[in-house]
Amino acid sequence: MLTIIKNRVTQLVVVLFILSLFTFTLMKMAPGDPVLTILNADEMVVTEEDQAELRKKLGFDQPLYIQYGKWMFNLVQLDLGKSYMSGKPVTEELLTRIPITAELTFFAMTIMLCITVPLGVWSAKYVNKWPDQFSRILALIGASIPNFWLGLILIYLFAFKLGVLPSSGIGSYSQIILPAFTLGFTFAVVYARLLRAGLLQSLSEDYIYAARARGVKEWRILWLHAFRAAVLPVLTIFGLSLGSFLGGAVVVEILFSWPGLGSLAVDAIFNRDYPVIQGYVLLTGVFVVLTNLLVDLSYYVIDPRMKRKEEAL
Amino acid sequence: MKNYKNILVGMLCLVLVFIAGCSTTQNSSEKQEEKEKKVNMIFSFKAANLDPHTGFIPIRAGLTETLLKLDDKSNIEGWLAEKWETADNEKWVFEIRDDVKFQDGKKLDAESVKQSLERSIEANESLGDSLKIKSMEADGQLLTIHTTEPYPALPSELVNPYTSIVNMEAAKKDGEEAFKNNPIGTGPFKVKEFKSNQFVEVEKNKDYWAGEPKLDSAKIKFNEDANVRALALQSKEADVVYNLPAESLDTIEKDNKLRVESIPGLRAHFILYNSQSKNVKDLKVRQALDLLIDRKSVVNDIMLGHGLEANGPFNSTLPFGLDEEVSELNVEKAKSLLTQAGYKENAGGLMEKDGKPLTLELVTYKARPELPLIAQLLQSDAGKAGIKIDIKTVENADTHLVENKDWDLATYSNNTSPRGDGSYFFNTAFTETGALNVGMINIPELNTLIEKLNRTTDLDERTKLTQDASKVINKEVAHSYAVYPNIIIGMNKRIVNWEPTAEEYYILTHNMDVK
Repeated sequence: MLTIIKNRVTQLVVVLFILSLFTFTLMKMAPGDPVLTILNADEMVVTEEDQAELRKKLGFDQPLYIQYGKWMFNLVQLDLGKSYMSGKPVTEELLTRIPITAELTFFAMTIMLCITVPLGVWSAKYVNKWPDQFSRILALIGASIPNFWLGLILIYLFAFKLGVLPSSGIGSYSQIILPAFTLGFTFAVVYARLLRAGLLQSLSEDYIYAARARGVKEWRILWLHAFRAAVLPVLTIFGLSLGSFLGGAVVVEILFSWPGLGSLAVDAIFNRDYPVIQGYVLLTGVFVVLTNLLVDLSYYVIDPRMKRKEEAL
Repeated sequence: MKNYKNILVGMLCLVLVFIAGCSTTQNSSEKQEEKEKKVNMIFSFKAANLDPHTGFIPIRAGLTETLLKLDDKSNIEGWLAEKWETADNEKWVFEIRDDVKFQDGKKLDAESVKQSLERSIEANESLGDSLKIKSMEADGQLLTIHTTEPYPALPSELVNPYTSIVNMEAAKKDGEEAFKNNPIGTGPFKVKEFKSNQFVEVEKNKDYWAGEPKLDSAKIKFNEDANVRALALQSKEADVVYNLPAESLDTIEKDNKLRVESIPGLRAHFILYNSQSKNVKDLKVRQALDLLIDRKSVVNDIMLGHGLEANGPFNSTLPFGLDEEVSELNVEKAKSLLTQAGYKENAGGLMEKDGKPLTLELVTYKARPELPLIAQLLQSDAGKAGIKIDIKTVENADTHLVENKDWDLATYSNNTSPRGDGSYFFNTAFTETGALNVGMINIPELNTLIEKLNRTTDLDERTKLTQDASKVINKEVAHSYAVYPNIIIGMNKRIVNWEPTAEEYYILTHNMDVK
C-alpha cells in the first residue's frame, strides 16, 4: 500500500508540473489580457499609457519563460499569487470557495447514490423487464440532456409551477436540492447502468451459484456477495469522471448562482485572471489525482483478492 | 424481493420528507415577511464585496451616495453637495449638505468627504486619472478641490458611484474586512447581512436625511443566468429583475401581476471602421456602408422593439443627444456612392475597382448576442449593393482589433455616456491616446472640438460642443451608430413609487414602496 502511495505522489508532482506548463502556455496564447477589465475601460477614461503601465506592473512585458519561472518560483514557496480582480491571495480565494463546492458535491453525490444504487439493483433484478427498460430510458435521457437544461426545467417545475423550492441562491437546505439533483441525476442514471452490468456479471459467477446452493438468503447474495464485486467498475469510472463532475458543477453553479469553485473559475477565465485560473487548474489536478488514488486504495478494502495479489508480488 | 421494495419506498419517503420540510420553512418565513415591507431583487452582476470604491452594488442597494447625481433626464444635480462653483475650472468649491448623517450617526462634513475621496482614489486604479484631483481642503461644510489642470468634466466624474462617500473614520476603526462587508454610507438603507457573491440584505436607515424610507428591508440576490432571473420573477420570488431575455417578455407581460419596463439606456451598438484599412479609408465607402445598415430592422427584428434607432453616439433622448433624422436603408444611394468612389458593378453583381471586388472583413463577438446578428443583417444588405462582407467572430474583440491590422469594420458596443456627459466617450474612443480607439481614428476637426469640450464649463456650451462633435463623427462616418439598446426590467406590480432609470445607479431608493 505504501509503495502505491509513494508512486502516486511522484505521479502527482509530474502531472501537476505538466498541467501547469500546459495551461500557462495556452492561457498566454489565448487572445486578451485583464488590463482593460482591471482599468474598467467601459466606464472610465483610460489611455494607452495607463494600459502600458499596468501591463508592466503585472509583468506582461517580460518573456513568457520568465513569467512562468516567476510563477513557479512562488509556487514552490506555496504562494499562488494574487487575483488581478479582487487583489486577494489566490489561496484565500480558493479556500473560501472549496467548502461551498464541497457542500454541493456532497449533496449531489448523496442524491446520486440514492438513485444509482436502487435503480441499478432494480434493473439487474428484473433484466429486460419494465424496470430495466425504464432505467435504460432514464440513462439515455441522463446521458443526452445538458446540465443547464435539466436545471432550467427543474427551476421551471419546482420554483415557478409548484412554487415549493427557491430558484437559486445558497444558505438553506431547500436551496441545495435543485442544484444537487441537477448535478447528481445525469451521473446517477449512467452509473446505474454500470452497476446493473456489474451485478449481472457477478451474479453469474460460480461463487454465487455455490452460495445459492448453500442456501444463503437471496438478499445476502445480492448485497454482500454480488454487490461488492459489482461496485468496483463503478468506482473506477467514478474516479475517472470526477473531472467531468467538477466540469458539470461549473454550469450548475452559474445557473443556480452558487458561488463555489466553478463560478470562480468561469469569472477568472472571462477576466483573464491568470493567477486564479492557474490556481484552479492545479487544485483540480490535485483533486482528480487524489481521488483516483483513493479509488485505487478502496479496491483493497472492497476486494481482498487485490491485497493477496500484491502480497504475491 | 420485498426488501428492495422496502428500501426504495424508504428512500422515496426520505426525499419527500426532506423536500416538504424545506418548503414548510420557506412558507413560514414568507408569512413572517408579509408583515414587513420588503422587496426582493435579482441583479445580473454579482459582488464579491461591498467596497463602494470598486463596485456599484453599494449605490444600487441604497447604501451610499455621491456628491452629485443624475436626474431622470440625465442632467447633473446636487446630492450630498448642495451647490458647487468654479471660477477657473481648476479650483472647485462644493457646499456639502448640512443635514446629512452617516448611518452610524456621525455628521457629514467636508473633512469626511475629503477622507472618503482620498480613499476612493487610492483604492481604484483609474479613478485618480478621471478625477484629476491635485489637492483638497476641508473647512466645515465647504470642500475645495484643486485639479491638476483646468477640468470642467469634474462634476460629471463626481457622479461616478466609485466616488461614493463613506465614513472612513468608522472604516479605520472597524478594519478593512468590516468596511468591505458593511460600509457606513449616507444612503436610505444599511447592511443587514452580506454574503459574498450571493446576496446583500439591507434594512432601512430611519434617520435618512431625505425622509424615512418607505420599505423596511430589501434583499438583493445575484444571478448571472437571465432565464433563471425571468423564472424567479414569474414565480414571484423576485419583485424586481434586471436584464431579462427578450424571449421571456411575452409570458411576463401576460401575467397580470407583473409588468415589463423597457427604458432607453446609455449604451450604443455601432459599427467601428478601421481608419488604416485601404477599403474603408474612403469616406464614400463608409457613407455607403452607413446607408446599408437597416436600423429599423435592427430595432424591430433583432432587439424585438426594445431599442431606439441611433443617429449619433448618444441616445437621442439625452439632453446632449442629436435630434437629426435617422438615416434609412438605401441600397441605390449606397451603390451610387460606391460608383462615385470609383467602383463598378462587375458581371457577378459585385462592386469592383482595378479588377478587385470590394470584399470587407467584419469582426464581431458574442459577448453581446445582438452584435453578431447586426453583422449578419449588414452582410445581407451590403450584398445587395455589391459589397461582399466576410464575418469573423472572435472571442475578445478589444485585443483582436488592436493586435490585427487586416480588419475593415467591426461591430462594437460602448456605454457612451455613463455619467451624463459625452466627454468620457470622446476621450476614450476618438483621441490618439484613448484606450478604446482601436480603429486609430484621427480627425483634426473632431480633436479640436474634444479639446475645447475638455476646457469648457458652461453646461449649455458643453451640450453644443458635444452635439457638434457628434455631427463631425457622423459627417466623417467615423462610426456608424445602429441602435441604442433599452434596459429591460421586469417588476411585480406591488412595487409602487419607483421607476427604473437609464444609468442603473439608483435602484433601491427611499421612495420605493410596496402595495
